[in-house]
Amino acid sequence: MDTLIAALFTGTSRGAIYALVAMGLVLVWRGAGIVNFAQMGQAMFSTYIASTLIMNGYSYWLAFFVAIAAGALLGVFLDLVVMRPLSNKKQTELLSSQSMRSAVPVIASLGILGVLQALAGVIWAAEERGFQAPFAQEGYTFAGRVMPFTSFDLFVVTVVAITLILTVLFFKKTGVGLAMRASALDQEVAKLSGIRTNGVRALSWAISGAASSLAGLLLTPTSNLSPYTLDLALIIGFTAAVVGGLDSLPGSVIGGFILGFVISFVNYYMTPEDIYLAILAVLIFVLIVRPRGILGGKDTRRV
Amino acid sequence: MLEVTDLTTSFGSVIALNSVSMKVKESKITTVIGANGAGKSTLLRTISGLEKPSSGSITWNGQSLLNRRPEEIVRMGVAHVPEGHAVISALTVEENISMGALFRRRAHKQDIAQATDELYTLFPRLLERRKQLAGTLSGGERQMLAISRALVSRPSLLLLDEPSLGLAPLVVEQIIDSIKTLSEKTGLTVLLVEQNANTALGVADHGVLLSLGKVVADRPAHELKADANLRAAYLGY
Repeated sequence: MDTLIAALFTGTSRGAIYALVAMGLVLVWRGAGIVNFAQMGQAMFSTYIASTLIMNGYSYWLAFFVAIAAGALLGVFLDLVVMRPLSNKKQTELLSSQSMRSAVPVIASLGILGVLQALAGVIWAAEERGFQAPFAQEGYTFAGRVMPFTSFDLFVVTVVAITLILTVLFFKKTGVGLAMRASALDQEVAKLSGIRTNGVRALSWAISGAASSLAGLLLTPTSNLSPYTLDLALIIGFTAAVVGGLDSLPGSVIGGFILGFVISFVNYYMTPEDIYLAILAVLIFVLIVRPRGILGGKDTRRV
Repeated sequence: MLEVTDLTTSFGSVIALNSVSMKVKESKITTVIGANGAGKSTLLRTISGLEKPSSGSITWNGQSLLNRRPEEIVRMGVAHVPEGHAVISALTVEENISMGALFRRRAHKQDIAQATDELYTLFPRLLERRKQLAGTLSGGERQMLAISRALVSRPSLLLLDEPSLGLAPLVVEQIIDSIKTLSEKTGLTVLLVEQNANTALGVADHGVLLSLGKVVADRPAHELKADANLRAAYLGY
């Protein structure tokens, strides 16, 4: 019973973070048609910025918001400097087939990931460093027992919940949100409606960058910070996005929590080494049973 | 006035528009007719900035439309309803309409509300279905929605591509009539592309006949309609 409750608690706080990672991936996939493998590299980079600020005596909260802003800026930078020029290339200049054309930005994102990790190693040295949490890391006591749910976990769940609600409201209620949905669904009709699709695309990269930086900030206190620590989060987040249906924001949240619970249960009832196997099993299961993901649209590309 | 001069647009080695020149007079309905593959849609797509011409010029009220993005051309008052009832199925009717006015929502909030009301009066069926997803509409309703999406920005020039495509004759008549009424009432300039020459020439003031990317006739609509030789040679009826 204790193990079950513990697994549920851990699953909730982890799932919330994976939901955030998956949401970042879905945003760029919908907005730019790219699976951005550099995403957690960007998050790692902005987490290092936060860590450096904190080590230099600035407050956690200042570092927190600076890192999120840096994540958004880095996202826009990558779109403007790497992705937009790539997508504007004429068909003849790159490889001619459509599948290769859509593969090029994905390969570029892997390149960006490599560059960011190498750069972080050069700037901050490639050894692990700790990253503080803004709240106590001791578990709450529940029915006389200490649970693996700390005030930091509560903070994580609250922040993620607020972020998800704000994102949903932004997309549903604002004009910019409508412009973003329209551009994601039909570029041509969006352009003919006067929507500046390039700007919308950059905004997708910004929001995705901010969301994944937030995920990085929330994830790092429980592991450590090194240029490679967030790689696993990308794998899990990507699986979560595919499970939820790569083009659905609510789907990515559902996928994130499913992965959070699966990993947490494997952790408590089996061994931590089985986690990778479990992620793969979930991915294969979904691809066999429902290739377009839980909430994916009919014409979603199969992964 | 819209002036197209020596406009050539190619796709690789295929020349879709071959030195096309034509004029569209203000507050009139001009129709471009011709068989499949004559270049009618390419003409509209080049005007609205979706395709880049290799040579020639396009001016609207003296301002050049060349080398501008589609989203900027819309801001100049040129709205394009592309072929195939172009609405976004996964958005509601309301959202599709307000999408068309997003770019002027700050400066013209009240006018947009008024324009939307006018459109609901013009097409009452959209009002009934305003909360539904556009994907659930019938073909005729989708076309009405696509036109409303374009009109809500209060364009001065409407580019309309094959509104009759796949629709029942009665629905086509209703849609064409509303365009005619609108043009007469508000002075909207319309460039209507149609394969259905009879319907188009019936409503238009002026007609241009395209064949294989070239202009073969450019006359008042009633003259074109009466010319049996042209009809037999280029439209096949």
